[in-house]
Amino acid sequence: MNVAIEDLHVGYAGRDVVSGVRLIAAAGETAGLVGPNGSGKSTVLRTVYRHLRPTAGRVLLAGTDLRTLTPGQTARRVAALPQERGSDFELTVHEVVAMGRMPYQRAFAGEGRADREAVADALAAVGLAGHGGRRFAALSGGERQRALLARAFAQDPDVLVLDEPTNHLDVRHQVELLALLRARRRTTLISLHDLNAAASLCDRLHVLHAGRVVASGPPREVLTPRLLAEVFGVRAAVTDHPLTGEVLIAYDHREVLPTGDG
Amino acid sequence: MGPLREDALRRAEPAAPPGPRTPRAGLLALGLGLALVLALTAAVCLGPTDLAPGQVWSVVLRRLGGTPPRPGTDDLIVWQLRVPRALLAALVGAGLGLVGTAAQALVRNPLADPYLLGISNGASLGAVAAIVLGAGGSSGLGLPAAAFAGALGSFALVWGVARRGGGFSPLRLVLAGVGIGQFLSGFTSYLVLQAGDEQQTRSVLFWLMGSLSGATWSVLGPPALALAAGLLALMARARPMNALLMGEETAAGVGVDVTRLRRELFVVTGLLTGVLVAVSGAIGFVGLMVPHLCRLVIGGDHRRLLPLSALTGALLLVVVDLVCRTAMDTQELPVGVVTAMIGAPALLFVLDRRTAVGR
Repeated sequence: MNVAIEDLHVGYAGRDVVSGVRLIAAAGETAGLVGPNGSGKSTVLRTVYRHLRPTAGRVLLAGTDLRTLTPGQTARRVAALPQERGSDFELTVHEVVAMGRMPYQRAFAGEGRADREAVADALAAVGLAGHGGRRFAALSGGERQRALLARAFAQDPDVLVLDEPTNHLDVRHQVELLALLRARRRTTLISLHDLNAAASLCDRLHVLHAGRVVASGPPREVLTPRLLAEVFGVRAAVTDHPLTGEVLIAYDHREVLPTGDG
Repeated sequence: MGPLREDALRRAEPAAPPGPRTPRAGLLALGLGLALVLALTAAVCLGPTDLAPGQVWSVVLRRLGGTPPRPGTDDLIVWQLRVPRALLAALVGAGLGLVGTAAQALVRNPLADPYLLGISNGASLGAVAAIVLGAGGSSGLGLPAAAFAGALGSFALVWGVARRGGGFSPLRLVLAGVGIGQFLSGFTSYLVLQAGDEQQTRSVLFWLMGSLSGATWSVLGPPALALAAGLLALMARARPMNALLMGEETAAGVGVDVTRLRRELFVVTGLLTGVLVAVSGAIGFVGLMVPHLCRLVIGGDHRRLLPLSALTGALLLVVVDLVCRTAMDTQELPVGVVTAMIGAPALLFVLDRRTAVGR
């Protein structure tokens, strides 16, 4: 299922945070949103899982305008892994993952067989089989992200939306999470701060800067030293990864470059 | 994929018992139900004149069976005085447990209290106005009606303030509730000072501290209806409430219309609180403590938490009211005094234990 974002504007308190974003994620493609802090990545993603409403423009799922779908219908097509961390309300891992089944359940109905199977499959897929009875709050950071990813898998979506899923994870857990995404490929919109990880995972990158898309294309075409200087304000060399042959960005960590917008 | 999964499994700690904790919740509900029946029986047996459980049940069964009651004091004490009072305690306790749970989900804070939303302050103002200005008199339904009118008034004010800026954010709700609550209790204090005589001041204070002494059969209808409707409305939203605990974005992502859910929870909480406060005064700590304790025992899933909080609240308030009626020979203690004396230490104990466990 492809996702098309058309001329999207989103504002808080009368000020546009995203102004005129246009991008397409083809069916089955992993589209990466990269850009400095405050460039509008999260805001764009929030309109796709309907936490935010666009002030103008629209989001299309396989040609259908999101606004013509109910929240439940949207949730059967789109699953999200937002950045927020759950609060301490004594839920078990199973209960958290089972939330992914909500779009398929009626108010007073119990968990059906399909629900239980989907939850078990999702837990197994992220390596948490048998951990359903543990308290969610007691999980380690890496386990917690995997459990939340399992919730998104349990939702059985056509489109996966992930907002900085590797934040706060150590390198090993970052690689692990991205490997889980590779293993279950589907149309994915993901924002990432780590450009090397984004280049490795994504089919196409969309670079956001001050609420606009300033470059789109395959990672190798988009991530140039010039773009890194202009958008991110850092000096970097772009080479080939000695092990994988993928794009590798090596930053000059000694100083930043002026970016023009301060 | 293969190697990674195996590896992840190998690193995993010994697995905890899988699956939800449903059987335990079922057993617990059964146990609480039995305890509630025992507590109700004890509440009807004990008082200035102690009766045997056999006497009590024979009166109740005769009444329920439609057999004409045996004339005498037994019937009067049991059926006219103590049964309505015990039932009112159970209804109010269950309601407070329920609204406490809903309020905590609504503002996403496990330490929230239904009274945080300012509803009880409006009810208190209404009740105190009725007592001091003599509007409703102290007889019949005048006092509850005035209290409920006050509750609705403060509910409307909080609603009006909280909805501005769109979205009923937890922070706005709490600030609006606390602000308007303080504003209204200023008027209440003024009225108390204006109270004509000592008797009025006493009855005002008694009402403000919570009391079930107004219990008659005719008072039971509104809280019973409100409780049933509230339980149904909240149980229908149990899953969305779970999702809301994880966060607004998570809830939106699994198909919850967050603003609408908050609005509905606020309406249910506000109306149910209003009805409860109208018949019993502001009984503190039950709505705060009961859901919190239940959550520690059976976890946070609202499909279990809502009914168990209601049961626990009912049991607690029946027992507390029994203590209030029988602890002193000469006078009754206000219920709110005892719930605070039990509730505050219980809460501190819970907090202490949580810190000790180390999270």
